[in-house]
Amino acid sequence: MRRSAVRDLLIGAVVLAALVLLPVLWPSKALIDFVIRGAALALFATSLNLLVGYGGLVSFGHGMFFGVGAYSFGLLMQRTGMPIPVAFVVTIVVTAAVALLVGAICVRLKEIYFAFLTLAFQMFLHSLIILWVPLTGGDQGLLGGIPRPPFFGIDLGDQRQLYIAACVLLVAGLLLMRHIVESPFGFTLRMIRDNAARTGFLGVEIFRIKLVAFVLAGVFAGIGGVIMSLFVSGAYPEFAYWTMSGEGIFMIMLGGITTFLGPTIGTVILLLLNDFVTRFTEHHGLMLGAIILLFALGLRRGITDFLVDHWRRTRTPAATRRGH
Amino acid sequence: MTGNRKSRLDRRTLLKGTSAAAIGIIGAPLIARGQAKPIKIGMPTILSGRVAQLGASSRNGVMLEVEKVNAAGGLAGRPIEMVIRDSKGAPQEAARVARELVNSDGCEILIDAEASSGAFAVHEVARDLKVLCLHTNSETSSLTADPKLRIPNAFRVARQGIHDSIVGGGYAAKIAEAKKLTKWMTCSPDYAYGRDTTAQFIEYLKHFKKDIEVVGEAWPKLFQPDYTEVVTKILQTKPQAMYSCLWGGDLTSFIDQGNIYALFTQIETFAVNMADYTALTVVKNLPKGIHSGNRYIKTFPKTAANAAWGDAYRAKYKEYPTNWAWQNATVIQFLAAAAKKVNSADGAKLAEALRGLTIESPFGTDGKLTLRAEDQTLVGYAIGWGTTIPAEPYVPETTAGDWKQITELEAEWKKKNNYT
Repeated sequence: MRRSAVRDLLIGAVVLAALVLLPVLWPSKALIDFVIRGAALALFATSLNLLVGYGGLVSFGHGMFFGVGAYSFGLLMQRTGMPIPVAFVVTIVVTAAVALLVGAICVRLKEIYFAFLTLAFQMFLHSLIILWVPLTGGDQGLLGGIPRPPFFGIDLGDQRQLYIAACVLLVAGLLLMRHIVESPFGFTLRMIRDNAARTGFLGVEIFRIKLVAFVLAGVFAGIGGVIMSLFVSGAYPEFAYWTMSGEGIFMIMLGGITTFLGPTIGTVILLLLNDFVTRFTEHHGLMLGAIILLFALGLRRGITDFLVDHWRRTRTPAATRRGH
Repeated sequence: MTGNRKSRLDRRTLLKGTSAAAIGIIGAPLIARGQAKPIKIGMPTILSGRVAQLGASSRNGVMLEVEKVNAAGGLAGRPIEMVIRDSKGAPQEAARVARELVNSDGCEILIDAEASSGAFAVHEVARDLKVLCLHTNSETSSLTADPKLRIPNAFRVARQGIHDSIVGGGYAAKIAEAKKLTKWMTCSPDYAYGRDTTAQFIEYLKHFKKDIEVVGEAWPKLFQPDYTEVVTKILQTKPQAMYSCLWGGDLTSFIDQGNIYALFTQIETFAVNMADYTALTVVKNLPKGIHSGNRYIKTFPKTAANAAWGDAYRAKYKEYPTNWAWQNATVIQFLAAAAKKVNSADGAKLAEALRGLTIESPFGTDGKLTLRAEDQTLVGYAIGWGTTIPAEPYVPETTAGDWKQITELEAEWKKKNNYT
């Protein structure tokens, strides 16, 4: 195993332990709710960054997989009564299949054409959810709550246990995605982003790499959707609406594209902003817009990118002096 | 010297502090007895986006009554403190806000002033947190009719789709009989509410008059700006009568654009959501003789109490009340009555008292409103149909629906849907 992978695993374990201990040290139901939502959206934002940051594929339709994840999991639990782990695996398969279908058509295109085609598929899925009332409940969403039968002694109906499950999924998901971007596959993806033609000349099958990245990103977004559906005990068409994809882009913009944890930090910032701003003013749209504008104009590439740049700049002279 | 003065000051501060603390310790129970802990009621609603006006009117309706209740001593002696927050009309946000209101803000009761999907999301939060929850805006029948969804701590204090369809179908059948209208067409928004409501209306229209024929259907998109193609389709189909459950801005756009083709003078129009001030006052030329169900209108029920309530609301907020406004006012009236009955503001005790409770109300057909025990939903509210005129009072006469008939047909409908 690579040394960096061992380091990542260790960091993951420490973070997970810290997250699990957090509610013991600071018992607050609001904190638990916040982290569960954060886990769902951080997985979603980071998976979108696999495409945007690492693949140069700016998808405007990523919310569709968040929606597919939430709806397939919710429907499986409501209609089939299968155990949660089985429904979870089936949901991953369903999301992957949808991503494969959509990706096979979309990733052939570049830039704005790719962005708009993903948006079109998303709107198609959203319309399907709205119109297929007998299955999806239409605009009212999946009604009646999602049943959460206990499995292996775990009861996700208990918010504390759901919290731990969400933390485990978050950390495992982030570790897997980290592994993906640090693998040769991840470097090939970055190479395609930087110069697709040259990569093609090296014998890399660009279409295949892009498609695999698209499917992987879709699956992780779907897992985010599963967590969210458990949190709200339902699934709603808004999950698959373009505003969801827009929020993902915001999170990435706030947090930073080139740093792996940027989207996660962006998620935390956006959630905090949203929760606090809506508490104090009804003009939250204006406030959020202004803050995002400040980020876009002032930091340009999100907060972590800004900090990392700054850190590197202050370190470089010292490094040079040591003879690099 | 300076040091001296400082120490003197310190002693005085100490003395002041001690006496203040002493008064505090001795006086605190007295103050606590005189002024009970306020009861916080959380209310997620839509205060931004397209239906923000309705959310704001929900808040107005609640606050108008909260002032009265607090002036009279609050809920069992505890003053009401409302915590009202915007959900932006997104269900996951409604769920989050509802949870936050209970878990972080310490709200003991939830007034769910959300529309459709948001209401179901808050319902699940209420199921989870076991907090008393009163739905005030969702008209989707299944929310209370479906026993699988029902929880002992959630009530609906709002009108209901099925009731509107029964009354609408009965009223339209009588007009159809008198004017010999057999060829009908529908024009409703293309989403769950539009499809369900239209199907139900037609079902009850046919129930009351057998020889109805639906010759065409138009399904404009939700929030569609241009209705030209819909209007031309209707004109080509040439029905004798038309049903529409378009609402808000969609309805007013449709009426304005239909007016250009003199649509409403050729076709007898039944628009269930017309008689709402938010639509009536926005249409440029309100045609005479459009049939509509009542939403909130000052002239129905035709009582002094209802007119006075409408005027008081308008005087205070400088706008007309909406359907959401009266429903949210009603919820506070119910809570006040329940708290009086059990002399407590405890959620579980209030729920027990609310089940089957009847109160005096300006919005009841015969001056009374009831929260029916079996499905914890509002019945007996003013429900009826009338026709429009272009100026105030917009709908001068309204024919009231018969609650005995509504209850019978609703029971049949529940049986048919396996809701019993």
